[in-house]
Amino acid sequence: MTARYDRAITVFSPDGHLFQVEYAQEAVKKGSTAVGIRGKNIVVLGVEKKSVAKLQEERTVRKICALDEHVCMAFAGLTADARIVINRARVECQSHRLTVEDPVTVEYITRYIATLKQRYTQSNGRRPFGISALIVGFDYDGTPRLYQTDPSGTYHAWKANAIGRSAKTVREFLEKNYTEEAIATDKEAMKLAIKALLEVVQSGGKNIELAIIGRNQPLKILESKEIETLVAEIEKEKEEEAEKKKQKKTT
Amino acid sequence: MATFFGEVVPAYSRAVEEGEDDSEEEENEEDREIRNEIQKKREVHVHWNPEITKSIDTSSAKAFQCSDLILAAGPNAAGFLSAFVLSSGSWETVGSVTLWNERCKTTANQQLPVGPSCVFHRPTDKPDVLICQCSCHVAEDQLFQWAEKVLGSIQKTGLTVTVLSDCSVAEYKTPDSVSTIPVPFLRALKTRHYKEAPHCPLLEQPNVITGLPAAVLSHCQVFGIPAVLYQCYSDVVKPDSVTMEAYKPTVSCRSLSRVMKLDSSESVDILKKLVRVNEAQSNLYT
Repeated sequence: MTARYDRAITVFSPDGHLFQVEYAQEAVKKGSTAVGIRGKNIVVLGVEKKSVAKLQEERTVRKICALDEHVCMAFAGLTADARIVINRARVECQSHRLTVEDPVTVEYITRYIATLKQRYTQSNGRRPFGISALIVGFDYDGTPRLYQTDPSGTYHAWKANAIGRSAKTVREFLEKNYTEEAIATDKEAMKLAIKALLEVVQSGGKNIELAIIGRNQPLKILESKEIETLVAEIEKEKEEEAEKKKQKKTT
Repeated sequence: MATFFGEVVPAYSRAVEEGEDDSEEEENEEDREIRNEIQKKREVHVHWNPEITKSIDTSSAKAFQCSDLILAAGPNAAGFLSAFVLSSGSWETVGSVTLWNERCKTTANQQLPVGPSCVFHRPTDKPDVLICQCSCHVAEDQLFQWAEKVLGSIQKTGLTVTVLSDCSVAEYKTPDSVSTIPVPFLRALKTRHYKEAPHCPLLEQPNVITGLPAAVLSHCQVFGIPAVLYQCYSDVVKPDSVTMEAYKPTVSCRSLSRVMKLDSSESVDILKKLVRVNEAQSNLYT
């Protein structure tokens, strides 16, 4: 039944589906996991690094990109589509600065990206962008923001979210563990992002990349040593928890 | 006959004319030879090691004794067996199947099959269990031969067959939207003589099984051999560790519990190795 309604993007199916958009969301699930967390004074983006071929330059395989000094995004899905969206967003950020003499708010640039994506779901001959994006940053009044967009062109603000492969598992973990005390400090927020990724990343800390933006600070991508330190702390905390539980059982 | 677009298409008529039977004898020597050659090329060859060949020759039914045959059809099913069954204990290769078709080009005189093929393994301490990993494509015209030749060499009494196979979730038909079902998932299909309860829901209508698992299951149903098929529907058709791990519920199945060890640390390493080759090559998705 679906075969007749997924040929052209502009066609609704009898039960109201836009199958190309739904298939684009499946393409997003083929990308590796990305998680975003909004803390009190920090926003964190964590991604599962894709394994690079031996002869490939690792630096050119990036999932986290800065859109401006105070905004950055992580994507999941088709690499080439992401490059186009990121380029357009970067140009828009600078154009906004020159026209209005203010940096973009996170919501503005998210709306721009989402409008761009929606346009491609409503014109003939074009397919939707096969990426979902997590956009984080600080507005000029100092409020931290996290937004998520998807191939249909919708966008929403989140306190914490995940996209890509196994996003559902990570989101369930975040729903259980995102508490006020879990994001009390910057370090705790970073550890929460790493913990969420460790649920689904198969080879541990070596395959995790973390980026943070602090209030009035530029984007910082953590080095692998710093991530390993945090992972070691998390494992120690886990062991201490397990010890405590064991002791409780015996007493 | 000219069509709407002006091309000339030969018109086929179902009217049978007298004297048409004579035309078959006019097929010349060359056509017959070509047809025989193609048939020979597409023949399925089953090779057993000398020990099994001896037990086949010395038995009255021309078949050797086996109590459990576990067949993996597809890269993820084969990978699952490699990681969780063949990784522990000692195994010997006891046979292989070589065949040629447009998608699987192994030649019959290759001793050790390289690349996609069908290989039989047996644990040295339990010689009545046979595992077959089939990762090559068996063409529709070769399926019957495959099932006949392989299952024909195994005695039917006391045999239980378990088949694990991969399928793309795009071919799963359901009234609900597929995005609501957690993928990958298992569905089972069994023959009338299989008495154990399968460890996942049965395959709902109107879904059908095709290919090698269907040929094996049909053969077992016809000859009254208890057999069960576990089909894993996944959104990834290449070797993928999440899909391979989706077969884990089958450990409770009697045949598999004899040989499967779930907690081995080597399984994780083997899974990673099987998947690593594939991952680095695709730059389409990040």
